[in-house]
Amino acid sequence: MYNINDKLKEKVEDLNQALRVKYRDIFELDKGQLRDFINKHIGQIKKMDKLDRAQLSLYQSKGGIVGVDGSVNKVGGAYPHFIEIYQAMAKCTNRREDPVVLADIYSPLYIEEEEMEEDDDLFQNKRDVKLATLEVEAAIESVKRHKPYAILMDGGLIRYNIDAHDSWLELRGLCEERGTIIVGVIKDIKTSIIGDMIRELDGKINSTIYDREILFGLLDYGEMVLVKDEANKKGPQGYASVFLRSSLAPTVIGMDIIDSQRDKLEEMAQLVFTLTPENSRGVPLWLDIVDKEVLISDELIRSLLEQYMDRGLYERFFISERDKRN
Amino acid sequence: MKVVGITTQQEVFVGSKERNFRINEFLIIEDPYQGSLLGEVVEAKTFNRYIPLNIYGDFVDSSVLESLKALGYNIDEDTIYIAKIRLLNEALYPIQTGSDVRLPQFLEVKDLMIKSRVDEGLVLGIIKNTDDLAKDMDDEFKDLLHTFEEGDLLEQRDIPYILDIKSMHHYPHIGVFGGSGSGKSFGLRVILEELMRLNIPTIVLDPHFEMDFSQPASYLDDEAIDFKNRFKCLQVGTHVGVKFEDLTAQDLKNLLSAASNLTDSMSNVVDILFKPKDSYYSFYNRMQMLTEAQEEGSLDRIENRINNAADPEERRAWMERKELFISYDKTCPYNSVRGIIWRLRRLENDGVFSKDIREIEDGLQNGKLIVIQGNTRILQVFSTYLLNNLYHKRREYKDALYKKTEADYFPPFIIVTDEAHNFAPKAYESPSKSIIKEISQEGRKYGVFLILATQRPTLLDETITAQLNTKLIFRTVRASDIQTIQEETDLTMEECRRLPYLRTGDVFISSADMGRTIFARIRAALTTSPHTLNPFDELKSKFKEDDEDFLKLIMDKLPINDIELAQLALEIEQEAKITYTVNQLEEKLNKLVEKKHIKKEETIFGFRYNI
Repeated sequence: MYNINDKLKEKVEDLNQALRVKYRDIFELDKGQLRDFINKHIGQIKKMDKLDRAQLSLYQSKGGIVGVDGSVNKVGGAYPHFIEIYQAMAKCTNRREDPVVLADIYSPLYIEEEEMEEDDDLFQNKRDVKLATLEVEAAIESVKRHKPYAILMDGGLIRYNIDAHDSWLELRGLCEERGTIIVGVIKDIKTSIIGDMIRELDGKINSTIYDREILFGLLDYGEMVLVKDEANKKGPQGYASVFLRSSLAPTVIGMDIIDSQRDKLEEMAQLVFTLTPENSRGVPLWLDIVDKEVLISDELIRSLLEQYMDRGLYERFFISERDKRN
Repeated sequence: MKVVGITTQQEVFVGSKERNFRINEFLIIEDPYQGSLLGEVVEAKTFNRYIPLNIYGDFVDSSVLESLKALGYNIDEDTIYIAKIRLLNEALYPIQTGSDVRLPQFLEVKDLMIKSRVDEGLVLGIIKNTDDLAKDMDDEFKDLLHTFEEGDLLEQRDIPYILDIKSMHHYPHIGVFGGSGSGKSFGLRVILEELMRLNIPTIVLDPHFEMDFSQPASYLDDEAIDFKNRFKCLQVGTHVGVKFEDLTAQDLKNLLSAASNLTDSMSNVVDILFKPKDSYYSFYNRMQMLTEAQEEGSLDRIENRINNAADPEERRAWMERKELFISYDKTCPYNSVRGIIWRLRRLENDGVFSKDIREIEDGLQNGKLIVIQGNTRILQVFSTYLLNNLYHKRREYKDALYKKTEADYFPPFIIVTDEAHNFAPKAYESPSKSIIKEISQEGRKYGVFLILATQRPTLLDETITAQLNTKLIFRTVRASDIQTIQEETDLTMEECRRLPYLRTGDVFISSADMGRTIFARIRAALTTSPHTLNPFDELKSKFKEDDEDFLKLIMDKLPINDIELAQLALEIEQEAKITYTVNQLEEKLNKLVEKKHIKKEETIFGFRYNI
């Protein structure tokens, strides 16, 4: 039981070694040097202040802050015998009792005529599209209904641009028209802006090094980097980004905003900083709360299906061998 | 408010987003199939899924919560209130989940809460957590009393708890349990006040000298009932005692054994030597003379005494001794007679035989509350005689009624005692125990009832405990007593768990006529105990008084050089007739210096005391 295969041990050691070799140059860089580099080429490292009560009350009087998040539950086994249930929620700090909740359901067994999926890759895409669209639609409804001061999306805005293009354009237009600020809060940043810049200017590095690897522990609590446009040129046009360390955890989160609202980016970074507990993973509490509310437990989903589907159909299609194991 | 979760026929959970629940409050469940069902909250909980500030393992600090509040989102509002409700009567089917729950109207619970009219029952306090129900309560039940909360006197807001005294006829005897400082003595005082209000004849055994009702409570200004004519404090040996001529041999043995246990031989001595209608002196003399004869040792020597008597008086006395010696020497061993003499003298010295119980009987006949005071040992002795006497008077009257013969009227009455475990202990026999036991088992028939208070229910005789149909249980910390309470009452596990944490004056009342336990708070008493002055305050004020007196004496003599102290002592002796030695004076002066009333200065002539 407890004997780990020696091969496996070796593999892990190899991985460790490989990572060490690959990142040697980065690890060897002095923290000061690296910060200088960022200051010079990426954007200025700035200290953030927490917003005061008066400022927050002003936001409240201007409509409050909306958090948008989505959730996916999957019931069943392998393709195509499963159902996925999507739910998106937009909840406003001002209007606790009245969140926008949208839901959708998807099963490969029940496909509308024109779309036919064959493989998992396409399905993954399908899932992203469904979820992103649902979230954007919730945000649109929320802008119309709650008239908030700002919207915090869970995840980068670029994702919506890609996965839910049409709805996203509508949301974007709506926000610009109404002056509602819209930002995406990226918990896991996947960009490689700094690494690319180092590679370009230095030439020392020849593989892709991601920003999260470099920024880990590099920023102090309450610091942010407003990414200059020229550094950000690799990403799709039309968005401005910032990295910030919003909690005592060494990880760094990212935020992006639409171009036309870029002057609000710093202010929004401060808002996120204010709403993030010091001893946390760096996610603003409001998004955590929305995330918790949008989440549906698997048991609840199962009992939903059991109650509203014919038992025979449910069993035939959606109970996998794994479900029966215990 | 809605029923949530899994339900049974006895218990349900109710959830609410707006209203917090309180333990022991009543709620009505509107079951769509079974109609309205009344239940009581037995557990109350709150739950907030974002607090304990833990989301995915993060610790949320309050500044973030404050910020969210400023943005319009108050996390406290996400609190959910959950109550466990026990139905008063079991339902036929489990309650429908999702049923609505509402607060009852007063009328819907009146029969459950109030069993007696105000002028026929003991208004002991309030039923806790019933203020919502009390709003539409009949005026008859409003403004009856005050309660103390955190040292403040409050108007009555809840439903009053009225103990139905008439139900004692079916469910006799009351037990009052609670540790020291739990409000037990206070509760007893309130019970006695109510008994006086209803003019119920009552005997109180008061080993603590605290049941005096002449002092109205300082916090009540106008409405105090004057109890002065409704009670009487009588001290054993001073006001009341045993009339020796009325004693039977059995009474006397009880009394003597209360002084100290009797051996078989001693009790034999009493049987032989004690004659009906004996006075204390005739009985005492008889024993005294017998022992004197026995000290002589033999008939010959007594004869000798008779023959050599100096005068006829002495001669006759020795003749008498001889008679006694002949009759009793064989049956009454010398040491046993000495033992009886010793016990008898002890009782006599306590004044037990100097008075009678006439005054007590008169008081009872007039519906008064009679407080018998004395130290615990004397009370044990006296109560044995007294309770036997009174109980049998009442019993004779009732029996005579039944047999349709003539007998003097004697009223029903209630016997109240604190520290009841001293009068009816579990482990050993005591004379007062047998009469209390008899009353506990048969008293109901004759209208004689017990109210027994103790902080150690475990030490109280079990047969007696079992007869206590109503129990008031105050804060109890001792595990063995909680165990006893759990066995002897219908208190649930949850309620027993709360016992160590009850506030002073909060009480569980478990009574047979209610059929369930009520959580109540004893009202503020209308009178105060004479022992309310804190002994430490007393010390302080006494010291202060002494200091002030002494300061007055020496004030106009300041400054005083320490070489003049002898002169000062002389002056004080002449003026105030108080004698101090120089050392005492110096000590007193130094004490005043310590308390900064005067100063001590150093001069070239030594120390000087000055203002």
